[in-house]
Amino acid sequence: MKIAYSHLVSRIQESPTLEMVSDSLFQLGHEHEVEGNIFNMEFTPNRGDCLSINGLLRDLSVFYTINHDQKFYTEKLNNLQIDFENLSQDICPQISFLKIEIDNIPHTYNGCLNDYFIDLNINKNNFFTDISNYISYETGQPTHCYDANKVNGKLIFQELNTSQEFETLLDKKINLTDKNSVFLLNNEVINLAGVVGGKRTSCSSKTKTVLVECAFFKPEKIIGKSVKYDIQSEASHKFERSVDPTCHESVLRRFINLVSEYSSIKKMSFVSYKFRQNKVTKIPIMTDKINQIIGINISQDSYLSYLSRLGFIINDGHIEVPSYRSDIETQNDLAEEIARVIGYDNIARKEIFIPKGKKSNKHDLENNLRFFLLDQGFYEIINSPFVGSDSSNSISVDNPLDSNKKYLRSNLTNSLLENLLYNERRQKDSIKLFEISDIYTLKNNKINVTRKLGIIASGRAGHNYKDFSKKISKKYLTSAFKETLPNENFEFIVLSRESLNTKVTNEIVCCEVDIANFSSDVLSYKKISKPPESFIEYSPISDLPYSIRDLSFSIKDFTELDKFIEYILEFKHKLLKEVFIFDYFNNEKNAEIKIGFRFIFQSVDSTITERQVNNVISVIIDRTEEIDGISIPGLI
Amino acid sequence: MSSNKDISPPELIKDRGSLHPINHMKDSIMSLLVSFGFEVVDGPEIETEEFNFDMLNIKKTHPARQMHDTFYIEKKLNLLRTHTSPVQIRGMLEKKPPLAFISGGKVYRKDDDATHLPMFHQVEGIFVDENVSFAQLKDLIYKIIYSLFGESVELRFRPSYFPFTEPSAEVDILSKEGKWLEILGCGLVNPIVLENCNIDSNKFSGLAFGLGIERIAMLKHGITDIREFYKSNLDFLNQFK
Repeated sequence: MKIAYSHLVSRIQESPTLEMVSDSLFQLGHEHEVEGNIFNMEFTPNRGDCLSINGLLRDLSVFYTINHDQKFYTEKLNNLQIDFENLSQDICPQISFLKIEIDNIPHTYNGCLNDYFIDLNINKNNFFTDISNYISYETGQPTHCYDANKVNGKLIFQELNTSQEFETLLDKKINLTDKNSVFLLNNEVINLAGVVGGKRTSCSSKTKTVLVECAFFKPEKIIGKSVKYDIQSEASHKFERSVDPTCHESVLRRFINLVSEYSSIKKMSFVSYKFRQNKVTKIPIMTDKINQIIGINISQDSYLSYLSRLGFIINDGHIEVPSYRSDIETQNDLAEEIARVIGYDNIARKEIFIPKGKKSNKHDLENNLRFFLLDQGFYEIINSPFVGSDSSNSISVDNPLDSNKKYLRSNLTNSLLENLLYNERRQKDSIKLFEISDIYTLKNNKINVTRKLGIIASGRAGHNYKDFSKKISKKYLTSAFKETLPNENFEFIVLSRESLNTKVTNEIVCCEVDIANFSSDVLSYKKISKPPESFIEYSPISDLPYSIRDLSFSIKDFTELDKFIEYILEFKHKLLKEVFIFDYFNNEKNAEIKIGFRFIFQSVDSTITERQVNNVISVIIDRTEEIDGISIPGLI
Repeated sequence: MSSNKDISPPELIKDRGSLHPINHMKDSIMSLLVSFGFEVVDGPEIETEEFNFDMLNIKKTHPARQMHDTFYIEKKLNLLRTHTSPVQIRGMLEKKPPLAFISGGKVYRKDDDATHLPMFHQVEGIFVDENVSFAQLKDLIYKIIYSLFGESVELRFRPSYFPFTEPSAEVDILSKEGKWLEILGCGLVNPIVLENCNIDSNKFSGLAFGLGIERIAMLKHGITDIREFYKSNLDFLNQFK
């Protein structure tokens, strides 16, 4: 909600600066962005009472002196005769109507009405709707204006299970379905209560007689309607957060006053219906409790003074909660009021002591498994549980975000296969992934949860001179895993590539094991990998293609061998993504060592060119050629 | 010149994998909280409305319960938990105070953009004892944030609203660029929640807090798009060794 600084400060005696008001609002918990001279407010859902100038000023009154200089019509009002029936009194326990007939329709405004439209850059509508919108901004109470001449019959308020088309005053046609709270005229919906009025009875620029409806609706009956019917409604935003049920007469008297400032009133009459008594919340004064909750030590006088300034009434050992604060019910609620006024940042820390809890070892096995897999070169993955179709025992989501993913996955393998293919498409030639997750399925109409480890791998066994030429296979993985965890049964299987859209032919090996099936032997696994000690600054990754170069060196003088290897492996260039030894052969007979290095290049900006790669390779070659006894066979 | 018979082959550099950065962050935070005294508790990701909302004082009318915010399953019989708080409810129903629990894991909400995903991770903690105060909550939050971001970080507490805590606060830290960034939500456990768990709210009070793991990981690693975490790209994961 946008609120102009000038509209607030004009009613504050101390004339605080915009920054001061901003700081005060912030301390009170009213988050906002400052856009020029406008506060773009974001209120928490419990503070519907602040959705207006008056509401914010009520809160700011703990810091400033507020001018209560608004003008109200104070004369006696004639009784309005209206044919109205409330068939859902629980939903609308209080409602008032005001009928006004004016002489002439003003086309320009001055004063607060003009400031409202200019300062907030709001489009005008018609006279009565403009007043109604301003009243909502100033008081927080939405009102609805019917063209009184169009309301020619019995008006009924009712919650209806209906299915009918309704055209809003914004020319939008919606199909009402299920239960809605509505106003009916001759059995036709003319107003979706608390959300938006209808076209049929709306005011126009020619309306001279208005019927203003001012109501309290139960928030739970309004919530969700604007989203359901895709209607932007400031009224529903306020009704959903609850409005002051006792404000109707003062709001409508303010309405009359504003109308009278711009036009002469020929006739007016008013009626108010109260179907239920308003509940007044009373909370005992317990200053010690407030001090204990916050961890401070304020006097009772200060405590009650703060509450008085916020509009609470202190009476006979009790604190009476004002009717607009439906969010206050307990001592903790009052403590929050005091903490806000003091300022959360001004409350001193008090050392906390938490007794040592019981150490659980139930995640130790899972953690050891994770580190075992890290040591084997596997990367941990986390996948979304939402999938398109799965199995007959899959659980379906009632309201999926994407209708193509409306099931919870019943296995990990399918997601892992997608991960593998994603990386294959990015030229990865050695892919080893795992995921540990709960899987939910239906078994005999009951939800069954299983914690599983899923593993998938394909391509080269590794990026080093021993593993480079080996391919991952069922035999390879089974043997590698058995070597370290001989008593665990991973039961690897080979996935067919037949239905996969890929040209890669490497064997895909996977397994999926219940975590519960692992033995306690896993607990004695000695980890090699360590998690990083500090948090690494991430470098953006590239989806552009790689360029690969292999260089084979012949070494006949071994004095500089270690330095040479170090130079190549430590060589840094922004285009060089990875370098490793893929081949090593010590020909003792010929007194020659051959080392093959693979260089993988990639740019983050654009597809890498031959020339860019050649430039980097030239630097490496030039440097290595300077070392005695090292050559590149075949290099001209 | 030495003979090549004496030359050892180059060091065999074995490929090692990496933990997922979100799990690593979750583990780090949970280890930190365990060192403060908290006990780890676990709970299901598929929950009932009772545990996910009712017991936490989230009224039937609360917008979070709407179909556009919460994933319901099996004709609204159950839902995917929207936070890890129900685990604490289960913990409080099982044990008597004083108690200090943390729970971490996946949670689900109907969001999908550069900063929100339908699945994300949380770590939440609760401490219930006699005379637990907001001032003590502040002390704990300072300790957590100083451990995560260093003692030079500037932080602030803002009043906020959560149905399960009262008073409630959100905590921001000041970024290097001078922008306040929301880090966690916290508050004193609403006495209604304690009573729902058969804990005498006249005798005991509690504090609770919750952190979004992705948010912290994005800040710590300098990642701007949350979706990067879940693409399973080896070039991305390879950076977190």
